[in-house]
Amino acid sequence: MLGLAGVVVALLAWHLVAMTSSGAAIISPLQTWTALMDAFATPAFWKSVGMTLVVAGQGFGLAIAVGVPTGILIGWSRLLGHATRVPLEFLKPIPPIVIMPSVILILGPTQDMAVFLIFYGCVMPIIYQTATGVKEVDPVAVETGRSYGMGRAEILYRIVFPSASAFIGTALRIAMPTALIVAVVAGLLGGGPGLGRDIFLAMSAGQYDYLYALVVVLGFLGLAVQFVEHRIEGRMLHWHTSYRTGV
Amino acid sequence: VNSSKLISRPLLVAIEVIVPVALVAFWWMASANSSNAYFPPLENIVGRFHALWIFEHFSTDILPSVGNLLLGFVMAAVMGVVFGTIFALITPLRDLFYPLVNFYRAIPIVAVIPLFVALLGFGNEVRLLTIVLAAMPPTLIATLDGLRAIDPQVKEVSLVYRFTQAERLTRIYLPAAAPQIFSGLQVSLQFSFIVMIASEMLGASQGIGAMTLLAQQTFSSADMWAGVLLLGIIGFLANLALGAVRNRVLAWYDGAKQSALSY
Repeated sequence: MLGLAGVVVALLAWHLVAMTSSGAAIISPLQTWTALMDAFATPAFWKSVGMTLVVAGQGFGLAIAVGVPTGILIGWSRLLGHATRVPLEFLKPIPPIVIMPSVILILGPTQDMAVFLIFYGCVMPIIYQTATGVKEVDPVAVETGRSYGMGRAEILYRIVFPSASAFIGTALRIAMPTALIVAVVAGLLGGGPGLGRDIFLAMSAGQYDYLYALVVVLGFLGLAVQFVEHRIEGRMLHWHTSYRTGV
Repeated sequence: VNSSKLISRPLLVAIEVIVPVALVAFWWMASANSSNAYFPPLENIVGRFHALWIFEHFSTDILPSVGNLLLGFVMAAVMGVVFGTIFALITPLRDLFYPLVNFYRAIPIVAVIPLFVALLGFGNEVRLLTIVLAAMPPTLIATLDGLRAIDPQVKEVSLVYRFTQAERLTRIYLPAAAPQIFSGLQVSLQFSFIVMIASEMLGASQGIGAMTLLAQQTFSSADMWAGVLLLGIIGFLANLALGAVRNRVLAWYDGAKQSALSY
C-alpha cells in the first residue's frame, strides 16, 4: 500500500519538476504516457520489442546449450578444471561491452553481432556457477552411485546434474537479466536491431518523449524477465530446500 | 568428486601455467603473417598498445576513464550502503521506496544513459553521475537484504549486552551483513565499469571507450584491439583489487566458515 503511495509521490514529483523547468529534453509523465500509447499503436515498435526478446533469447539459449555441459566437464575433470582456470578467471570480470568493438568490426552491426555478445555475457556466469556446483557435489552420493553399479554417464546425469542444479539455477538467474542488458547495449552502442537502437535513434533525433517511453518499456521488460526467472527457477527447483514451502 | 585422481598436483599446477602461455603463443604465431584486416598480428597490437597507452594517452584518456570508474564506484558503494542501511532500519521508508527502486533496477542500466545525456549533455560530470546512479542499486539491495537476514537472536543478544544503537550498527549488524554487501559491491563494480565504457562510447570525445570505438569505426584494427586489451586489463585489475579488499575485510568470516566446515 505504502509502495503505491511511493509511486504516486514519485510521479507527482516528476510532474512538478517537468512543469517548473524548461528544456526540450524535459518530458512530463503525461507526455511520456502519450508517447507510450502512440508507440503501442505502431507495428514498428512491436517489431523492435519482438526483436529484442528474440535476440536475447537466442544468445541466452546458446549460452545454456554451451555453458552447462562445459561447466559440468570443467567441474568434473580436474585436468580440464586446471587447464581452463586462468583463461576463465581472466575473462570472467570482462563484460561483453569490452569486446563489442571487435565483434562489430568482424560481424557488423547485425543480429549475429548482438546474439554473440549476449552469448558471451551469459555463458561466463553459467560455466562458472555450473562448475562450482559440480565441485560441491557430495562425494558420498557419487560413491553410493558407484556401488549401485551406475556407469559414469549415469552418475553425471542422475547424481551430479541434479545436485548441481541449484547452482545452475543461480547461473540462469544471473544470466537472464544480463541477456536483456546486453541486447540493449548491442543495439544502443553497436547498432544491432531492437529497442536499444531505437533509443539511440530517438536520442539522436531529439524525440525525447519517445526516448522516455522506451526507457519505461525497458523497465517493464526487465520486471517481466525477473518474474519469469523466479517462476522457472521455482518450478525447476521446487524440491530444493531453499524453495520448499511449508516444511 | 573427480575422475582423474591419478594426476599429481605439481602436474596440474604446471598445466594451469602452461595453457595460458600456450594460448598467447599460439595467438602470436598464428597471427604473425596475418594480412586479415580484422585480425592483425599480435606483434602489431602490442606495438600499438605501447605507442598509444604507454604513455601518450595516459593523462588525456586513461586517467579520466579510470578516475571516473574509481570515483563513481566509491560514491555508489558508500551511497548504496548508507541508503540500504536507512531502508533496513526504517521500515516505512523501505515500503515507500522499495517498488520504485525495484522498477529502476529492472531498467537495463545502459538504457538510462541516453536519458541523462539528453537532460544534462555530454560533460564529464554527467558520466560520473551516470556511473553512480547505475552502480548504486545492487549494493543498496544487497545491504538491505543482508541486514534483514541477520539472525534475530543476534539482535536480541546485542540488546541484552546494552550496546548503543550506533555500536550495534557498526560493530554487529554491518559486519554480519558484510558478506552479502560485498557480493553487491562486486556487481556494482561491474556496472560502474560497463557504464564508464558505455558513456564514453555514446558521444564522448575522450576516454578509452571513445578511442576504442573510434578506432573500430575507422577500421584501425590494431588500435582497436589495443583498446580492447587495455579495457580487459582494467576490468580484470579492478575486480582483483576489490577481491583483495574483500578477503582482507572478511578474513574473519572465511576463517569461521572454514572451521565450521572442518567439524
